[in-house]
Amino acid sequence: MGEQMSVAWATLRRTWTMTFRAYPWSYAVGCLLIGVFTLGLSYLGLHAIGGGSVAEDFTARTGGADYLGYIAIGAAGYMFTVRMLLWSSKALITEQRQGTLGALLIAPAGRLPYLLGFTGFALLNTAVEVGLLGGFAAVLGVTLPAWHPLAALAGLLALSAAVFAVAVLLGALMIVAGEAHISQNTVFLAVSLLCGITFPNSYLPVPARWLAELLPVTSAMDVLRGALGRGQPLTELTARLVTCLALSLGYLLLGLRLLPAAERRAAERSF
Amino acid sequence: MTGPSTRPAHPAPPSVELLLLAAADRGARPPHPVGRTLPPPRPGTRRPPRPDGDRLATRPLRHAGKVFAAEALKQHRTLFGQPLVLASMLVWPVLQLAATYYTLHPIAAGSAAAARWPLAADPAKLLGFLATGALAWAFFFSLVQSAWNFAYERTTGTLELLFLSPADRLVLMLANGAGALLQNAWLLTCFLGAAAFGFGSLDVAGPWVYPVVLLALLLPAVAWGALLNSLMVFSRDSTFVYTVLDDPMWFVAGVRLPVFALPGVLRMLGAALPLTGSLAVVRGALLEREGFGELAPGLGRLAVLCVLLLACAALALRLGEARAQRTGGLRLS
Repeated sequence: MGEQMSVAWATLRRTWTMTFRAYPWSYAVGCLLIGVFTLGLSYLGLHAIGGGSVAEDFTARTGGADYLGYIAIGAAGYMFTVRMLLWSSKALITEQRQGTLGALLIAPAGRLPYLLGFTGFALLNTAVEVGLLGGFAAVLGVTLPAWHPLAALAGLLALSAAVFAVAVLLGALMIVAGEAHISQNTVFLAVSLLCGITFPNSYLPVPARWLAELLPVTSAMDVLRGALGRGQPLTELTARLVTCLALSLGYLLLGLRLLPAAERRAAERSF
Repeated sequence: MTGPSTRPAHPAPPSVELLLLAAADRGARPPHPVGRTLPPPRPGTRRPPRPDGDRLATRPLRHAGKVFAAEALKQHRTLFGQPLVLASMLVWPVLQLAATYYTLHPIAAGSAAAARWPLAADPAKLLGFLATGALAWAFFFSLVQSAWNFAYERTTGTLELLFLSPADRLVLMLANGAGALLQNAWLLTCFLGAAAFGFGSLDVAGPWVYPVVLLALLLPAVAWGALLNSLMVFSRDSTFVYTVLDDPMWFVAGVRLPVFALPGVLRMLGAALPLTGSLAVVRGALLEREGFGELAPGLGRLAVLCVLLLACAALALRLGEARAQRTGGLRLS
């Protein structure tokens, strides 16, 4: 246990040092802009086209959420997901591209603590960037009239767990495919369409909704929305929280099960 | 678990490659043995007129044809290493379109929206509005991507080779953009075209509209690509330009919102982008049944903008190359 902690901590410190010597500014700004423009689009649309009002079916489906608050929570959740996935799922393929994957494979460090350390760093980094988006939302006058701190914390943990689990599986797929661009962007687009990010996913046809239920980000967003948008206490959100954690566990186990084979394949191909 | 490997088992269909390769090879052979000894053309220097007049008339076109074929082949080889790329080019815009439609639906279906934006009242029209936006966006963004890729010629050292070759610089920039456009947008164009006909949300004045629409998308996009490519050749940080032109471009150009919804400053910024003008023509012609008279001012503005973009591209190339010859550095200033 102590050894695993030290692997995670060493990975976190290494990534921290590397990133702050050459911070990927344009990458971070690009990701922040996605959130900013999503919010900006809704703001302008609501005021210049909708005249401040939205359709009744939106209010009915979301339980009376205000549109901008709904979008703000969604944009923040989406940016969190995207940034965390960009860091964590690309950890292994980045090692591969830089030529250090072989060294990592023969090191006695376990893969889970390595990935946890990487994700720990990503969490710190992403928190700052999502905070900036939150600041932008506040400038536009978005407020959270009723929110429940404990449930919000649970929602944040659920989303982190969901993203970590997806990242492990996606990371394994990436080193097998030897490419990151197509797989990562397909996942991002699927999340933005299916997981109730900028609109309630009950708008979608039923098969798409079933597909959405297979992604743990959907239930994590439900918990986060309940806590931040409607101020629901943890007891009302237990069902979705348990769904999210169970799905995340499934993804994590599958990812960890596939990782050794994926690493073998990646190592074989590079020689 | 059989993901695509870096060396695909099924390479891109040989027919296209062979076709393009043949075209490029045919082009690479000079029409006349004397052609090999001619000095490479430089931008801005004009060769003295030669006695055989009819060959001279076909020369620039044939030269451009060679460069276009070679660049298209290069683009095809760089882009289609994996067959999966094709799916991404078609699937991503469609997913994005669906997400945007559902995001705007609560606003457009609101009680106050129809008075401000008549198009919003009809879901099919709203989808048509967003689909034309997605199509035009795909056209112009593929050129941002091409310029981004072009900047790699700097780092990999092939830019010197390109500049040493007898290919005309501006034609090279145009060809690179056009090649990227062809690779990226043809499938989406077919798909959205078929969808639009099936959906019945098109409202056009006559069949002459379609070629006009295609040209209003194609020509400004290629000019835009030439400018971006020329700037990228002399820029040290291409990622930054990519970031600046990715999301901000759709926002200010009215890809997902009508232009009247934007505040004045953003509208002015948008007016400088050719995408905005192209979209105005495309939407006017396809969704609002505008005749040639109504489209003409927009087309005129687009033409002026194209000439300006090309002039800027030629100027950037001239300045950059002059500086490179003087200092050895690839920068504009």
